[in-house]
Amino acid sequence: MTRMTHFAGAVSGLALLVSTAAVQADVLFWSTQARPVEEAQAMRQDVLSGFDETVDYQPNEDGPWLTRLQAELQAGSGSIEVLGALHGNFSAIDPESLVDLDDLGVSASSETFNTLARLGTDNMQYIPWMQATYIMAANKEALPYLPDGADINALTYDQLIEWAANVHEGTGSPKFGFPAGPKGLKHRFFQGYLYPSYTDGVVRTFASPEAVTAWEKFGELWEHTNPSSTNFSFMQEQLLSGDAWIVFDHTSRLAQAFNERPDDFVAFPAPAGPTGRGFMPVLAGLAVPATAPDMDAAKALVSYMLAPETQLKTLQATSFFPVVDVELPDDLPASVQASGAAIAAMSGAPDANPGLLPSGLGDKGGDFNRVYVDTFERIILARQPIERVLEDQKRRLSAIMEETGAPCWAPDAPSEGACPVE
Amino acid sequence: MTDAVADLPADTGASRKAGQFLYGASVVLLCAWVIVPLYFLLLNTLSSPEEVNSFPKSFLPHFDLGSLTFFANFQGILRALWNSVLVAAMTMVMSIVIGAPAGYALSRFEFRGKEAFRLLILLTRAFPLPLLALPLAVLFIRTGLDDTAFGLALVHTTLAIPFAVLITFSLFSGIPIELEEAAWTLGCTRFTAFTKVVLPLILPGITASAIFAFVISWNEVFAAAVLTIENRTLPAFLLQTLGEAPLHLKFAGGFILVVPALIFIFAVRKYLFAMWGIANR
Repeated sequence: MTRMTHFAGAVSGLALLVSTAAVQADVLFWSTQARPVEEAQAMRQDVLSGFDETVDYQPNEDGPWLTRLQAELQAGSGSIEVLGALHGNFSAIDPESLVDLDDLGVSASSETFNTLARLGTDNMQYIPWMQATYIMAANKEALPYLPDGADINALTYDQLIEWAANVHEGTGSPKFGFPAGPKGLKHRFFQGYLYPSYTDGVVRTFASPEAVTAWEKFGELWEHTNPSSTNFSFMQEQLLSGDAWIVFDHTSRLAQAFNERPDDFVAFPAPAGPTGRGFMPVLAGLAVPATAPDMDAAKALVSYMLAPETQLKTLQATSFFPVVDVELPDDLPASVQASGAAIAAMSGAPDANPGLLPSGLGDKGGDFNRVYVDTFERIILARQPIERVLEDQKRRLSAIMEETGAPCWAPDAPSEGACPVE
Repeated sequence: MTDAVADLPADTGASRKAGQFLYGASVVLLCAWVIVPLYFLLLNTLSSPEEVNSFPKSFLPHFDLGSLTFFANFQGILRALWNSVLVAAMTMVMSIVIGAPAGYALSRFEFRGKEAFRLLILLTRAFPLPLLALPLAVLFIRTGLDDTAFGLALVHTTLAIPFAVLITFSLFSGIPIELEEAAWTLGCTRFTAFTKVVLPLILPGITASAIFAFVISWNEVFAAAVLTIENRTLPAFLLQTLGEAPLHLKFAGGFILVVPALIFIFAVRKYLFAMWGIANR
């Protein structure tokens, strides 16, 4: 019986505790960005502490982020004040459920970004927040293996393959690293780098003869790629451990390597192919859901995030670059300096072929990525004939484009209506 | 023939030795199975970032507390830990309070649809949480259960109940009804017979299902991430941000997630062992 009274005591005690834990009105910042613990901590301590009200910064994975948002929208009342996410996250949401933000008077200095932020409507559905891109990085030990006459800031894919082959031969193990793991961002390499560099397109040229060449070349590179790459998702880890010497990844997924051992690594632009040096930006934005409990605080926070000083602090916290014009100081973290120089060299290259983020796909963005990932897995990992795989996947890609009616984006030539797969 | 007979004692000696060796090896292997990952977790938690990335590892850590200090200063971590304990405790209590009587009924009474019920109770585990989370969250927001430890504990209890019911069912079935009947003849009511005779016998089993409930609640991330905002549990608070963190922080964070669960299991271990007849209370 004493046990039972203990039980009862415990239960009533718990009930008491539950009732006391509540009521706290911070501005809730619901984000898919700056998730790694260190970045989240820096967002809270350095970036958001300057705002007038207390901000509760909550980074989430995409699944819970979207589910919670949808639940609040369906229930018609919410606690989320400000949303922070990638362009791709926002394009999967009904623009009606986001508050138009034109009256805030803040926007990105790039008109391309502002157009993307309208999500196909006439009004700003989100405000561009910060940007990044994908670059290459290498261990300095790999530099002596560079092919003769190759300039690391103006490499071609052929030179990259030769370089990786030299390192493979010299060290006895394949040292090219590619983020092909479950959380790796491999699809962006195909969409924004390989395809634009070889075919000057992404959708139209998906199954073109040039695409076959591109996959053949990537196959050659794969010969010198660490076979564990199918487990790699954050190339900074393999750079630091020495499992990979030459890598491709998102700037913020390389940052730790540069910050921990700035003298051991170099950052450099992505290589160029026959149709130029393809590269793709990453764009994150801020939005206010229609259910935000305190609209004024939410809008004030969005404006605060776009202020030049906040943008600089955000850069230091996340390695994501500002979207407004800001004078960069000299005392930036090593990762920002390294990647900043590489990005400048990449976008300023005479053969630069910048692409855009996929747009107009709505909630089919994931399926779109899947097409490229499946193509990679079938051609490179399962070694199926390239032409046959491309023909197969072409049908899926066509179906997605027709269903969403998404027009072509750069570097594909503009289309009337849905972007055709030629 | 005679040779073979003469060989026999030597043979059994050898095979007993082999058997002992196999037994010992299995024990070592099973222990290593559990301890080695925990050891590496501890080692890497107490190492500096450079050491975490280097190989081979030294056997003893250098007691670099950098990674742990980072978490000690991490905003909201204590609160999240407290919420986790709270939710796990409520889940434990509720799943036992609901699950044990169901297990008792299943083992002692005959009723229509009993077999179907036993099967159906497993179905609560058949639907993936990401599928259920959206309607649940909408419902919780409308009813005011949203963002409370109690609301989350309800969801975790649903997940834990199949285990509680099935474990207690098999335990009750293992206790002869004659014991209870004897107690009735000696003046016990149905209830006192249960509390005085049956309950002490199945306490280890109750503990086991309580541990199950605790672990299920402790490990659950998706519902916790969607259904709580300010009252986040530790996994919802940490796990999502750990996936992309630098390696040394992953280890330290993993360590922080594991330790409270280890402490809990250590605290209740004697009840568990009692179930297997190793220790007597």
